[in-house]
Amino acid sequence: MIARCARCQGTFTTDRFGAQSCPHCGTTLHLADPGAPAAAPPPPPPAPETAAAPGPWSAPPPSGAPPFGASSPPLPPAAAPPGLPPPPPPAGAWGPPPGWTPPPPPPPGELAAPFAERATRGFFPSLVETAKLVFTRPTDFFRRVRVDQSGSAVLFGVLLASVGTMAGALYGWLGGAASLAAMEEMAAGLPDTQAQVFRGLGGLMGGAFTFGQVIMAPLMALIGIYLSAALLHLVLMLLHATPRRFDGTLTAVGYSYGLFALGVVPVCGSLVALVWYLAVLIMGLGETQRCGPGKAALAVFAPVILACLCCCGAIGLGASGFVQAMKQAADAAKSGPTNL
Amino acid sequence: MTAAATARRFGHPEVFAAIAALSFLAARFLPVLSLPYTCPARGLLGIPCATCGMTHAFVALAHGDLGAALTASPLGAALAAGAWAYALADLGRLALGRPFPALPAGRLRAATALGVVALLANWAWLLAHQA
Repeated sequence: MIARCARCQGTFTTDRFGAQSCPHCGTTLHLADPGAPAAAPPPPPPAPETAAAPGPWSAPPPSGAPPFGASSPPLPPAAAPPGLPPPPPPAGAWGPPPGWTPPPPPPPGELAAPFAERATRGFFPSLVETAKLVFTRPTDFFRRVRVDQSGSAVLFGVLLASVGTMAGALYGWLGGAASLAAMEEMAAGLPDTQAQVFRGLGGLMGGAFTFGQVIMAPLMALIGIYLSAALLHLVLMLLHATPRRFDGTLTAVGYSYGLFALGVVPVCGSLVALVWYLAVLIMGLGETQRCGPGKAALAVFAPVILACLCCCGAIGLGASGFVQAMKQAADAAKSGPTNL
Repeated sequence: MTAAATARRFGHPEVFAAIAALSFLAARFLPVLSLPYTCPARGLLGIPCATCGMTHAFVALAHGDLGAALTASPLGAALAAGAWAYALADLGRLALGRPFPALPAGRLRAATALGVVALLANWAWLLAHQA
């Protein structure tokens, strides 16, 4: 029969029930015998992430909340072990995947994101449905989304952010002629060093740079997602707010990054996307890491707070330097006539 | 080896190693210093920000100029060296088939706090030497 690991979702073939280890990730699993008179008590899960990995779309969320997609298709037949009853319909009750004993305690209503089920739901329908959930119901979405499928979250963020970046680059290129003329005018009245900076900025609006932006957009989005998640996770670790490890943070950042698709809206799209992204990210981190919005907001804004503190310190230093320079100038002015 | 097992082998540590390796390639072969960019803090206030000079440090170290890298940004030089060493170590780990070592949360937390202190110290050093 074919079984599926609750942790890594990899399938493997086995000919027996009971405790055994997943050949992909090494997690110890317990396959329930459907012919047994009573289900044996399942062993304790090795890690919280393992316990929180339900079968995709086989259960309703707790407290009667609607699932992400009531029209979700059933599991592929290959996942169902032969000889076992077929998986329950997606709109039915939350139950274990075929061949599995539900881990204790029951998972708190976690579901796979629609985009994580793109193989069965269709690529674009699942993308659009996930985008709707992230954009309009972020708290509900991140509270119930599984965090052990962060690859789908990263792919979602890379795709949508790339679209937004490409659109923004094209808008910049299309409107570049007017901007270049304005920059040339400004550069004409500036000293040489500053004029070079302006002319260089004008070069960033050229076709070659735009082409480079478009080509590199997916890679830059991928790097941005991972580095943002790493930075946020480190700050969350300092706050003791990472009970669900890096996957929880990466899931929140990945899906939130999809907001940058709003870059397709001309003029104000990027700004709106940034503000919306920050709001969704705070809600998402608070839910996926179960740390609440306060710690999530602190983690998101910690770099900004640190930068502000640095700037305040810098301004303070600059002010003291300015005062010192003024004193020196004043001293020089006082002593000037006597030296003449 | 199944596709799923292969996919599991290329996990988060390998993504970070790839990013570190890409940073070396970019610093070594791309003209990143010719991009017309001025730090806003330096442009507006005339003083460097906490991360000023890191690109110069990466580029200098990628070209083997340790002195220039340390002068540009000591933390940037350390970050570049650490990132590239991590990429090499992860490559070796993959080649040997070893699992990624489990890092205790307390140690990671201490390292993060140390990183924040290092960032502030680096900024103070930059202010003292470049302001």
